[in-house]
Amino acid sequence: MRKPGACIAGVGHTALGPRLGRPAWALQAEAVRAAVSDAGLAPGDVDGLITEAGYSQGVVEGITPHFLRLGGMLGLDPRYTATEVLGGASSVAMVQRAALAVGAGLCSACVCVFGDAPSAARGTWSYGRGDDAAFGLFGAIGLHALAARRHMALYGTRAEQLGEIAVTQRRHAGLTPHAQQREPLTLDDYLVSSWVVEPLRVADCCLVSDGAGAVVVTSTERARDLPRCGIRIAGFGQAHRLTGLAGDEHLTALPARESGRIAFGMAGLGPGDVDVAELYDCFTSVVLMQLEDYGFCKKGEGGAFVEGGRLGLGGALPTNTAGGLLSEGFGGGMLHVVEAVRQLRGECGARQVVGAEIALVSGHGLGMNTHATLLLCRD
Amino acid sequence: MDRPARPVPTPDAVTAPFWEGCLRGELRVQACGACGARWLPASVVCPRCWSDAIAWIRAAGAGTVVTFAVYHRAYHEAFRPLLPYVVAVVELAEGPRLVSNIVGVPPERVQIGLPVRVEFEPIEGTALPVFRPVDEGG
Repeated sequence: MRKPGACIAGVGHTALGPRLGRPAWALQAEAVRAAVSDAGLAPGDVDGLITEAGYSQGVVEGITPHFLRLGGMLGLDPRYTATEVLGGASSVAMVQRAALAVGAGLCSACVCVFGDAPSAARGTWSYGRGDDAAFGLFGAIGLHALAARRHMALYGTRAEQLGEIAVTQRRHAGLTPHAQQREPLTLDDYLVSSWVVEPLRVADCCLVSDGAGAVVVTSTERARDLPRCGIRIAGFGQAHRLTGLAGDEHLTALPARESGRIAFGMAGLGPGDVDVAELYDCFTSVVLMQLEDYGFCKKGEGGAFVEGGRLGLGGALPTNTAGGLLSEGFGGGMLHVVEAVRQLRGECGARQVVGAEIALVSGHGLGMNTHATLLLCRD
Repeated sequence: MDRPARPVPTPDAVTAPFWEGCLRGELRVQACGACGARWLPASVVCPRCWSDAIAWIRAAGAGTVVTFAVYHRAYHEAFRPLLPYVVAVVELAEGPRLVSNIVGVPPERVQIGLPVRVEFEPIEGTALPVFRPVDEGG
């Protein structure tokens, strides 16, 4: 049977590190070049461009649309372009937008790219949240700490359980040559890690990285003529909670539940079918909540679920297999897509999930407000 | 070296009545004349039924702590002398929730469900609605 729709035909990324000494534009261009080359395509084949301005550029570049300058520098006159502004959900949303554009025939080879160089900009991660900054609510961490505290109080979630996530992902990063933090982390190390915004510790927080990632989305038919095994975009969804604190559940549940339901429905799959999960992990607590909201376990049981090595290689649900934002480096969620594709292609060496056929990738952003889900399938 | 000034609210046409209320010692929430909903932050229509029949009403000032976080790092220099400080989500008796600070007790005595009452902290020409536990002389 012919499977219609779109594929990820190529992936690429730069090094990840605290200070690469290059502008975000250069990192984005390098990732695009790597992804297009990986797909077996040439610059002239690219007719779609979807981008996100990293936090450094979001501050520095003001109102100039990000795609305009990046596209110009890449010499592109695409048939479709956009800049996504969903925060940490943007990378997954970019791939969805590309799949829609390719599926509708608007373009045939659409590049999606995220890249950032926070080392070149001051204070990009310590922004105040509007008028709430007057009360000292700064950074993405503030809302997440408020949410983590409530989850711990309502469901008995313990620090050791958040630590299990950090430790597991660091172990995965140790098997990932390009990861930014590879030295082992023990649960004892985690528990003496200093508070940032209690109940979140340094070891609960994602890294700050210079780096970029990109993917190329083509039609399934076009992917058939390309050198790599195209990874099919089997399902996707989004859900957002723009009401913030006014929503009853806001502080213990994420819109992942609705987003996941849409994606699983589109793909004809369920949580039990997922072989590998790449979950947006700006903080450990967000991984735990997503496990519940995606239905890998019941609400409130995420703490127990992460125990016993379930998220590790060889566990029931290998998660963030390259180390994620916590240890691989901050790739804005695009590196999660890249890792999922590599897992499904079977290219991951020591961290390969044997026989992986279906991957779930998530994006989560703007505090706790936006969410996007992608289901990828190796046919 | 002078510390930078503490960030202050920047009222606009939508939020100005809230901050004007704070300067007068009134905690205000919005209420819908059509469906009875009450909410914060400020909107231009009722977020439940989209009616234009909305008005600001004075809240009693009583609330409870829904959740809280303790900042151990200064993301802004003006907050360094306040470390560790508590940012909380407070649910008012009238229903709406807001982000605020819990003052008057050390962070280790703050807990979810703690009854609190509003007071107004004058700062940089405005007034911030902050909350003190009711048992602590509030």
